[in-house]
Amino acid sequence: MESAFVIETIIKILVVLGLFSALAGFATYVERKVLAFMQRRLGPMHVGPWGLLQVLADGIKLFTKEDFIPQGANRIIFMIAPVITAASAFIAMAAIPMFPEFTIGGYTVRPIISDINVGLLFVLGVMAIGLYGPLLAGMASGNKWSLLGAARTAVQFLSYEVVTGLSVLAPVMIVGSLSLIDFNNYQAGGISNWLVWKQPVAFILFLIAGFAETNRTPFDLLEHEAEVISGYATEYSGMRWGMFFIGEYANMFTIGFLASLIFLGGFNDLGFIPGAIAILLKVFFFIFLFIWARASWPHIRPDQLMWLCWKVLMPIAVINVVITGIVMMF
Amino acid sequence: MYEVVAFYLFAALTITMFTITVMTKNALYAMTSLAAGMIFISAFFFLLDADFLGVVQIIVYSGAVMAVYAFGMMFLDTLKDVKEKNPSKKIVFFLSGMIALLLVIILLTPMISDKVQALYPVSDELGNAEAVGIVLFTKYLVPFEVAAIMLLVAMIAGIILASKRMDESITLKVDEEIEKEVKGSQ
Amino acid sequence: MNGLEQFKDRNVSQNYYRVKIEPYPKTPWERFKRVVRRSLRLELFVGLKITLMEMLRFKIHTIQYPKEKLPISPRYRAVHKLLRLLESGNERCIGCGLCEKICISNCIRIDTRPDENGRKIPTEYTINFGRCIFCGYCAEVCPELAIVHGQDYEHASEQRAQFALKEDMLTPLDKLKEQKEYPGFGAPTPAADKLIKKTPLAY
Repeated sequence: MESAFVIETIIKILVVLGLFSALAGFATYVERKVLAFMQRRLGPMHVGPWGLLQVLADGIKLFTKEDFIPQGANRIIFMIAPVITAASAFIAMAAIPMFPEFTIGGYTVRPIISDINVGLLFVLGVMAIGLYGPLLAGMASGNKWSLLGAARTAVQFLSYEVVTGLSVLAPVMIVGSLSLIDFNNYQAGGISNWLVWKQPVAFILFLIAGFAETNRTPFDLLEHEAEVISGYATEYSGMRWGMFFIGEYANMFTIGFLASLIFLGGFNDLGFIPGAIAILLKVFFFIFLFIWARASWPHIRPDQLMWLCWKVLMPIAVINVVITGIVMMF
Repeated sequence: MYEVVAFYLFAALTITMFTITVMTKNALYAMTSLAAGMIFISAFFFLLDADFLGVVQIIVYSGAVMAVYAFGMMFLDTLKDVKEKNPSKKIVFFLSGMIALLLVIILLTPMISDKVQALYPVSDELGNAEAVGIVLFTKYLVPFEVAAIMLLVAMIAGIILASKRMDESITLKVDEEIEKEVKGSQ
Repeated sequence: MNGLEQFKDRNVSQNYYRVKIEPYPKTPWERFKRVVRRSLRLELFVGLKITLMEMLRFKIHTIQYPKEKLPISPRYRAVHKLLRLLESGNERCIGCGLCEKICISNCIRIDTRPDENGRKIPTEYTINFGRCIFCGYCAEVCPELAIVHGQDYEHASEQRAQFALKEDMLTPLDKLKEQKEYPGFGAPTPAADKLIKKTPLAY
């Protein structure tokens, strides 16, 4: 029993690692294509049919590029930083139930690596650890732009963590559990049971905070080219830079899974669509939303980011929690 | 078996990390190993099936150490070693040694005398978060509320300290105005 | 040709219009009102709608360059061509050396000798394309329309020696039939005959 459990877990870990590394690569292709179409361009076209093999070419390029460490940098921290981002992005996925249970040859597989009963907090906490990567990278690079990127990381981390936590608090109060499987089971039985209808404000707040946590475009202050060259990643090249990239895209998938599990009914069957496909559709919608927002909206200034967090989002989140509490009490 | 291996692994890692924190002269190493040590500590909570506390350890301390990083960024050149001036090493070693000894004695005596008992043992019916909540809102209600008030006081104090002359914008000022103010204050 | 007509219109300011800038809020209450107005009018979603409609309309403007090329103006000044006389196949160049004289980047070199008929013909004619700035003076000054600017703008090369080959510029003898009377830069305009005025000799 024990060894079967260990083997099963290891297989799951390998599947998650391989699958999401590949998906992260594919997401870069989708992002380039969708961004191009929205800007009346074609995007990558030359490598393979419709540029499909561009991901592969990029991978080869990243692996064969020189791994460059600047002279003034702090070598150890500089080398560790990207690993933190990539690793924590994948560790966060350990507590996410991806699909409904299924059986292969009489053996029931639960597509979750570790079912801890505080899954939601675990995922959010470990995802937040991922921001240590940019912070350390920026501080170890010995470059002023990188240092600015690191300072922005610290600011963004400290403020948007609050919004994420408070926005998720209201749904947690309604469901009465921190386990993502409980969230999923609570919303079983059709679209009308989804938590979005009960907590629309929390949903929007969570999405906004999700953009900030994955540092996607409206909030991509950490590596905004026009202001801080490439921010924390200025001195990185090759696969170390690629690890930041994989971490960012894996975090996008994590936020997609979290948002669909908490607010959009998770992997419950959706009418005639089976649950596994339903959650995939939702996650891909969120990925598309990330890209869509990147094509549409300009990014904001750091002071606007702080204004948005502390003067708008946090009060709304607190009021939301209070109202939820009052409604639940009576 | 796995738990024993994991325990010793994480014990060694935690001790190594905190040793680096104390011993190193580089602020960046110190802060990074502090953060790593804090996160390794959460592994012990997970090993003891206290998932909630483990996750809270990660979230709270990652945020707290991030604030330390912000201060480090402001006050130090983190890429260079800090030059310390110790007027007398004997006093430093003596004081820190005595504090360490005191802490060890305080923590070890109840363990040696076998008087440690779990007042609220982990029960399988209740989840982790519920168990913490019950303890927090029954036995430790007063310390909990006092801590909350203290945090509130700290927050108000921080806002008042930071909001002094918040409406003035240095970027919109002409250089002469700033110079005049500097001269006026001297 | 008609598509390019619009670019000749220099009166660009006729389509200008003044953007209405709303007054900047001064008091905190006005600032608050602006935030509420901007959030509740869902201006952000207008941006999302525009990009989505662009994607669905799928009006792609990309030219996939090596496969597709944009048509260029006939007056485009790309790599030079040396033309031949259509009937005899002799080189048009009479070795007058005007192009060498006028070249402002000093990249044209001519070497001439008299041939058996006593005419001057160029033995060497090189243009250093690494140095040429494609100003078009040589084509303009040529009295015989012998050197003109072609349409071939892809002239990257790995070696400098290949930037000056006369053989590449000169129309080969077997391709003489394909050589067109040149309409582009340096050539007389189509209506040149009508523009010619009688020299006023009245005085």
